[in-house]
Amino acid sequence: MKGRYAAAAQPRRLATGSLLAVALFSMVLPAGAGKADRAEFDRLHAEAEQARKKADSIGGQWRDTAKFLKQAKAAADAGELDKAMKLARRAKDEGELGYRQASSQKGNVQIPSYLK
Amino acid sequence: MTGKILAGVLGAACFALAPAMLHADPQSDLEVYQRFFKEKYPDIPFTQFADGAYALNEQMRENWEAIEEFPPYGPFVDSGERLWAAPFANGKGYADCFPDGPAMQHKFPRWDKEQGQVVTLSLALNQCRETHGEKPMKYKGSPLVDLLSYIAYQSRGKKINVVVPKDDPRAMAAYQKGKDFYFTRRGQLNFSCAHCHFKNSGMSLRTDILSTAVGQTTGWPVYRSKWGTAGTLHRRYTGCNKQVRAKPFKRESEQYRNLEYFHTHMSNGLALNGPAARK
Amino acid sequence: MPSKTTNKKTDQTTGRTARQLLPALLAALMLTATAALAGKHGAVIEEGKSLTFDRKKGNCLACHYIAGAVSPGNIGPALAGMKARYPKKEDLRARIWDVTEFAPEAMMPPFGRHKILSEDEITKITEYIYTL
Ligand code: HEC
Ligand code: HEC
Repeated sequence: MKGRYAAAAQPRRLATGSLLAVALFSMVLPAGAGKADRAEFDRLHAEAEQARKKADSIGGQWRDTAKFLKQAKAAADAGELDKAMKLARRAKDEGELGYRQASSQKGNVQIPSYLK
Repeated sequence: MTGKILAGVLGAACFALAPAMLHADPQSDLEVYQRFFKEKYPDIPFTQFADGAYALNEQMRENWEAIEEFPPYGPFVDSGERLWAAPFANGKGYADCFPDGPAMQHKFPRWDKEQGQVVTLSLALNQCRETHGEKPMKYKGSPLVDLLSYIAYQSRGKKINVVVPKDDPRAMAAYQKGKDFYFTRRGQLNFSCAHCHFKNSGMSLRTDILSTAVGQTTGWPVYRSKWGTAGTLHRRYTGCNKQVRAKPFKRESEQYRNLEYFHTHMSNGLALNGPAARK
Repeated sequence: MPSKTTNKKTDQTTGRTARQLLPALLAALMLTATAALAGKHGAVIEEGKSLTFDRKKGNCLACHYIAGAVSPGNIGPALAGMKARYPKKEDLRARIWDVTEFAPEAMMPPFGRHKILSEDEITKITEYIYTL
């Protein structure tokens, strides 16, 4: 389902997909749901913080990344680990994407064609 | 042998440098940018670009002219005048650093060869204070904005004339950095300054009409109704960075000073008209 | 011994009942599924529409004209006749995911690449836009 060429939802596929998803989910649920533990969160949070710093080091940090990291920490401290993991994952994504965005333009800034 | 290798290395180095040097030509940049807007808006007199978005929309312009009848920045100018005249603890004052008086906004931003950096008016005011044993001002709110307002008022009508000296490659590098900053896509929304203020100037983004890049630096500080106060150009940079969901830089950071250098240069020839009122 | 026979009998009965019932069960299941599908597809389009209009989500109207929208922006082209422009739905989806792949200078946020919207949200928006 991921990626720019992921098929747009077609009714039939969607239904099969969601049936499958439900089946899979109910299998996984008892074993894994809500069982993200604190150590796992701390590891992810540290990785996300690392990613944020790396983006910042080349001026590529996004606006809300630091906020998500703070909110993730607060959620984890309040025992809401699923929410915390989600926020930390988002921050990590942003860190990586911001870094990629800035580094891809270093020494390669595109001047609009109408200004040449 | 060594000579040959050296020549080869040097040749390669020149080759690598060439594209970068091709870009950094402030004079031709300026011509391209100004021509772009003159052609895009053939009916708008060039001097009018100094009025920001109000140059582009008749209705907004009328509202704005009504506001200017009772300028909301008046109190800032008055307060700035008092601050300018008040002596430092050592008995000296701003006039000792700026012997030509307060009508000097058009001399900034400028390349300072000794310091090896772009010096903006805000930075110069703080350097003056520090020279005379005073604490620097915060780059936000009073008293800085008051002083800037007074200086802007006194400098009205002077023409912007930013110089990128040819005898110091570091000046060109600072200009180039500002230019790169300007055209770099930023933030989650992935826009550069140019996306909003060149090609799409005059277009509506929600309730705003986007102003033209040329002319954007003439009227600072600006009193904005949205802020409920007067603020600096770097405060506006902060807002425009956040708008695209990018982390803003610090006011008077090297990034914003280089940006101001590039951004002001493209308005060379336009007259200063600050402080200004904006929505 | 007797019990065994009984058991066998029961097993056979159960087996037969199940075999008889299975097609009916399957048919019933498929029927409800199809009904649910039609409804579901409509619901997906509706959701896609509200995501498209939502300022905190797609906010597509900031730049695009869509028939019937109130005060749309004019930075991008009007969104209309999509099926003709994009016979393959995934080509439309790819543009919403990241238009700069196709128009490098474009001022449109890469909704998928920069995770502004989730994959699911993009799919739903695509479904809606495809009806325009
Ligand atoms: C998403 C679009 C967008 C982007 C990108 C953007 N701006 Fe703006 N900017 C605006 C809007 C909206 C306004 C308010 C209306 C106006 O004056 O254009 C504004 C106003 C300004 C003003 C004040 C103009 C005046 O007359 O008061 C300046 C200066 C400015 N922007 C500079 C920049 C710079 C420099 C960048 C790049 C760092 C940038 N903008 C990026 C949307 C944008
Ligand atoms: C900031 C402005 C902006 C926003 C917001 C925006 N777009 Fe666009 N979009 C554009 C521009 C500009 C283009 C033209 C790209 C080009 O140069 O081809 C475009 C192109 C497209 C195209 C290709 C159109 C065609 O005729 O081929 C589609 C489809 C599209 N946008 C859909 C969307 C959807 C759906 C959303 C909301 C999720 C959206 N856009 C949000 C600016 C925007």
